[in-house]
Amino acid sequence: MNENQQKTTHFGYQTVAETDKASMVADVFHSVAAKYDVMNDLMSFGIHRLWKRQTIASSGVRKGHHVLDLAGGTGDLTAKFSQLVGETGQVVLGDINSSMLKVGREKLHNLGLVGNIDYVQMNAEALPFPDNSFDLITIAFGLRNVTDKDKALRSMYRILKPGGRLLVLEFSKPEHEVLSKAYDFYSFNLLPTMGKLVANDSESYKYLAESIRMHPDQDTLKAMMNEAGFEQTTYQNLTGGIVALHRGFKY
Amino acid sequence: MVTNFLVALVERILNTSLKLDSTLNDKLTPITHKHLLIEIRDWQQQFLLVFSGKQLHLYSTIENQYDCMISGDIDTLMALQNPAMLTQLIRQDKLDLQGDLNIAQGFSNAFAAMDIDWPEHFARYLGDAPAQQLWLSLKDVQQKGLTADKKLTTTLSQLCQDELKVTIHPIELEQFKQDTRQLKGSVAQLEQRINRLLQNHSNQ
Repeated sequence: MNENQQKTTHFGYQTVAETDKASMVADVFHSVAAKYDVMNDLMSFGIHRLWKRQTIASSGVRKGHHVLDLAGGTGDLTAKFSQLVGETGQVVLGDINSSMLKVGREKLHNLGLVGNIDYVQMNAEALPFPDNSFDLITIAFGLRNVTDKDKALRSMYRILKPGGRLLVLEFSKPEHEVLSKAYDFYSFNLLPTMGKLVANDSESYKYLAESIRMHPDQDTLKAMMNEAGFEQTTYQNLTGGIVALHRGFKY
Repeated sequence: MVTNFLVALVERILNTSLKLDSTLNDKLTPITHKHLLIEIRDWQQQFLLVFSGKQLHLYSTIENQYDCMISGDIDTLMALQNPAMLTQLIRQDKLDLQGDLNIAQGFSNAFAAMDIDWPEHFARYLGDAPAQQLWLSLKDVQQKGLTADKKLTTTLSQLCQDELKVTIHPIELEQFKQDTRQLKGSVAQLEQRINRLLQNHSNQ
């Protein structure tokens, strides 16, 4: 084997060196951070709020719980979890991108949510927490951007408490062919145009569309979670499979 | 997703009520962070209701973790608008309750005692006098609506219960046919008599 050959991975439809992916993803999110929430509402017609509601409904979160909202970005889920875990609980908003974390912190402070939220810049592949630290980990629309997903899933498993659960909310494969075609048209033609008009950045939204197609489908991700040690792993298709919510437990 | 959307809408209404009635927050404080699971049997749906201290959270869920669970048909659950009905419904086996009864009573009492000062809220936009006038007009419309509804219900009930003659009785029909035949016979006899008289007259 040629020792000079670098390990490669995908960045959207491009093939890039594994070591470069994280910085390329970072550039995307530095670019979109300021308009992230507006674009989410625009691109999904507000439906992303319902997907996140379903995530919270499936979380079993209670007062006093310790929650990690990984790739939490602008803090949509953290805002809800902070209220639900109460003063005796704790929510860690973790993201690899400092710009997203900054937007999230500002938003949550403006909502008056202080006291039980910590903000940590972290890499999902090497989570900086002791074993068995969290009752719940959520990662919403972040896993597809991780370079080594298996490593990240193993890291999440390590820091979960026994009895704890992982929720992965992510774009996935639509169930029906007609929907799939309509979704493809929307993703590759309309999204970059919307990105150009609103955020003045069509390339980042082109990456969004491509990265969704490169992400594992529902059953593959379920198998990956099982491989990482999770048990009773199930998934629920939302909006015809455009998004899937995977749930796995640590016992 | 439709269920999630409707649940989100109801949650928004509940939280708006929380803002409009300043005393509701205090009434819900004793049951902060207590999970009430509401199972609507005929809808085959479960909803989780939690007060976090600032907001009410309502979710459609399949989780079975709760501090109190109430289970019943939608009609039974609607009867809980009167908190006094709670124990009665449990005794009648119409309502199944598990866990801490105080949590169900807490929510029921809080919402039953909800009292939104609408004139005060309208006054912010319209002024005191127009707000009061508007409130009185709305109350009047509501009262008239209730009266009309009651009247309609009574009328419909009576219509459904009382016998209403929309067709004639078979015996009446037979009598009518007999009378018609008799009349026909009489007319035929009269015609014959007239024809004979005319013939006699023309022969003379």
